[in-house]
Amino acid sequence: MLILGIETSCDDTSAAVVEDGKIIKSNIVSSQDEIHTQYGGIVPELASRKHIEMIWPVVDKALSTANASLSDLSAIAFSYGPGLIGSLLVGVCFSKSLSLVHSLPLVAVNHLEGHIFSAFLESSPSFPFLALIVSGGHTSMYIIRDFNKYEEIGRTRDDAAGEAYDKVAKLLGFGYPGGPIIDNLAISGDPEAISFPRALIRDSLDFSFSGLKTSVLTYTRKNPDAKKEDIAASFQAAVVDVLVQRSLEACKAKGIDRIVLSGGVSANSLLRKSVADAAEGAALEVYLPSKRLCTDNAAMIAAAGYHHFRRGNISNFSLNPKAYVHLGSAHG
Amino acid sequence: MRLQSKSDDDTRNIGRLIGNRLKPGDTVCLFGDLGAGKTTITKGIASALGIEERDITSASFTIIAEYDSPIPFYHIDLYRVSGDDISELGLHEYLGGDGICVIEWAERAGSEIPDAQISVRLEHKGDNCREIEIEGLEL
Repeated sequence: MLILGIETSCDDTSAAVVEDGKIIKSNIVSSQDEIHTQYGGIVPELASRKHIEMIWPVVDKALSTANASLSDLSAIAFSYGPGLIGSLLVGVCFSKSLSLVHSLPLVAVNHLEGHIFSAFLESSPSFPFLALIVSGGHTSMYIIRDFNKYEEIGRTRDDAAGEAYDKVAKLLGFGYPGGPIIDNLAISGDPEAISFPRALIRDSLDFSFSGLKTSVLTYTRKNPDAKKEDIAASFQAAVVDVLVQRSLEACKAKGIDRIVLSGGVSANSLLRKSVADAAEGAALEVYLPSKRLCTDNAAMIAAAGYHHFRRGNISNFSLNPKAYVHLGSAHG
Repeated sequence: MRLQSKSDDDTRNIGRLIGNRLKPGDTVCLFGDLGAGKTTITKGIASALGIEERDITSASFTIIAEYDSPIPFYHIDLYRVSGDDISELGLHEYLGGDGICVIEWAERAGSEIPDAQISVRLEHKGDNCREIEIEGLEL
């Protein structure tokens, strides 16, 4: 069973053909980083215009790479939110049109659910597991008990981890996206040079990265000559410490012994290593999707869509994109 | 009016006082550097309007966050936006309508925001202290 996945929730236009929710026949991602770098972040209006330009060529390429035609498809799975509304709209309208013209069933997928299912493209984690989603727009933890049984147990109260990376890169005078820049700088810095705060909210599994960002800003103002590598390494150590510690706490509190990491920030080398090390120490199984499946891509949407389609969760044409939608919310 | 905040709680409480005085169509412009407390005070304003503080997070990523509260609430963050892009955001669709708008990094909106709005300037004074100056609204 071939499913075409379509993902346009942020600044990457992506289309993929996935067989049986597992075998990636193609996964084309057209990144807009080059356009947005000059603005130090995503500009929504530019992003949606670029999606309109790229969606057809990207879908064509996904089909030709997979050696498939539209008539070979069983369904179209698309992400309907959360994300930038103008960007989502392009993927949603495109999917609806294609569905109407070619009489293909539509499957709406929550973008966050897609991230969780990226792990199923390379392995088969058993339920239940803890999903830690860390990206530019999200930092949340869920207990995944089964397909469609998701419980949110923690999320950021202010900045997402990836957003903190972007803001710190910007205040150090670097470009966008901040994640890879800080990750690279940190390699030659001392993670213990500066002791930045680790915000752990009491009686909750929520995250907060806003105070850390402020503390980096204050430090750089007071110490204009400090090595940027040390600031990057110390900042990154603080982010990773909190993410790892909270995941372990969550597993312990909920009696879970598997962790699935996903989202753009889980491509970060220190986070991957630290989660893997900590999991080994605590006898937890850990699933780290390969880096190209951590960042936004349509294969994960097709994979999640496959499971919905098999269960008969078909969407209708009245479904609209949603900028804010919690995972597990009912959709059309 | 000039107020001192000594903690995040103080900042949220000041936000709550502001929120209690707002009516549909009002726009609150927030000015202040990274870490000045703009999102924190927004949490307070929103909680006065019946929105859970925990649901208010940074809007830097999505630029405009809409909340289905009794009075519609729009949390706008122009941190990433610059120059010509402002006019393409469609801010006029939110401002002065049936809801309440809070705009972070309002200085970037230029002429897109009509004059005579409520403005709140926040300044980080070291440690947890912040100076908060409110214009256009009596608490």
